[in-house]
Amino acid sequence: MYPEKLNQIIDLFESLPDAEKRELLISYASAAMKQGPRDGDAFDLEDERKDEECTDTVGVFLQVSPQRACAFRIKLGPQVQTLTKAMTAILCKGLEGLSPEQIMEVPADFVPKIVGADLVRQRSQTVYYILTRMKGIARVWLNRERASAQLSL
Amino acid sequence: MSEKNYAFPEALVSTEWVAGHLADPHLRIVESNEDILLYDTGHIQGSVHIDWRSDLQDQTIRDYINPQQFAALCERNGISNDTTVIFYGDKSNWWACYALWVFRLFGHTKVKIMDGGREKWVAEQRHLTRAVPHFVHGHYTPPETRSDSEIRAFYDQALAQSRAGMALIDVRSPAEFRGEVTHMPEYPQEGVLRGGHIPGAASVPWKMAVKDDSTFKDISELRQIYEDEAGLKPGQDVVAYCRIGERSSHTWFVLTYLLGYKKVRNYDGSWTEWGNRVGAPIERS
Repeated sequence: MYPEKLNQIIDLFESLPDAEKRELLISYASAAMKQGPRDGDAFDLEDERKDEECTDTVGVFLQVSPQRACAFRIKLGPQVQTLTKAMTAILCKGLEGLSPEQIMEVPADFVPKIVGADLVRQRSQTVYYILTRMKGIARVWLNRERASAQLSL
Repeated sequence: MSEKNYAFPEALVSTEWVAGHLADPHLRIVESNEDILLYDTGHIQGSVHIDWRSDLQDQTIRDYINPQQFAALCERNGISNDTTVIFYGDKSNWWACYALWVFRLFGHTKVKIMDGGREKWVAEQRHLTRAVPHFVHGHYTPPETRSDSEIRAFYDQALAQSRAGMALIDVRSPAEFRGEVTHMPEYPQEGVLRGGHIPGAASVPWKMAVKDDSTFKDISELRQIYEDEAGLKPGQDVVAYCRIGERSSHTWFVLTYLLGYKKVRNYDGSWTEWGNRVGAPIERS
């Protein structure tokens, strides 16, 4: 149902008691700041913006290999909430290597399995935001691919 | 805080003061945040975490815990009836003020806010720890009742306030007040069906009360905002509201402790109740 790498992360979270689950979320949140673009990185698409529904600017950077494997880099503003930071690192790792089509098919219902129902609240809905942004940039990449294919016909 | 001439300067403590009282056995420092995991990433040494939703609210109905649950919450956080509780948190102390307000509902009056909240503490590069504090459990005699009537307003009371032309302060963003949006900037929709404000309410966004470093403005600036511009008068009966009651707790704190208003109530049902209520009068401007 879920991509393999993401599924492994989900399984790990589901196996943990609440206290350790929180610890792992903190660990992922700490890793989120390392998910940003690095010097020398080249991307097919870059989408950096501040949306109404998130507390700070989020930049999503996509590189798609000739084998159609996606690699994401995500830059987060300092005001982004801890859960959103954790989800960023989880998604960068869990969705690495998927094709744009596979990215588009990732269901969002894994979030409570990772975060725990207690932590998913009205005010923490931005945990879904990063996946939405990743799907958004994958959609743009696919649209451009289709457009260039039509042009070459 | 006496230099700012607040009505109750003792209700605020500075980050410096807190840093010098970390080992005071008569104090308990409480962090209360919107970011659910922020405390876990690092907190003031010895502080405990009290969550607005899972600790202070009833888990089934939209209301607060009862006196016995409050006493149990205090005891497990090392708070006794005579403990002075210092609140701080993110978002310029929104949830710290909310938690303080809930403590007041249970008659706990030895409460203070750390001016500037977590943002100021972090900006000053003061120490944060991930260590879980260990302390002796408190002994808390629960109050007989929760004092809802003094500092809390319900729908009917807010409606009566509106109909009587008495002071109502809407602390949401101007766009929410005007009914242009039903959520605050940077936040998801929280299920409100109608936009606008309670008829007769004055718009004074909570943020007007704080400076860029999240500390409260001094008394002369606060008087200008709430009295000269919004038209409040000392001694007035005031009801403040926002969307779920946390931003209005911040304003409640300002009016009660800094400006010294005697009767200020927080309408915690706020716009998520009013904007969904069938037949509730709404004004847009």
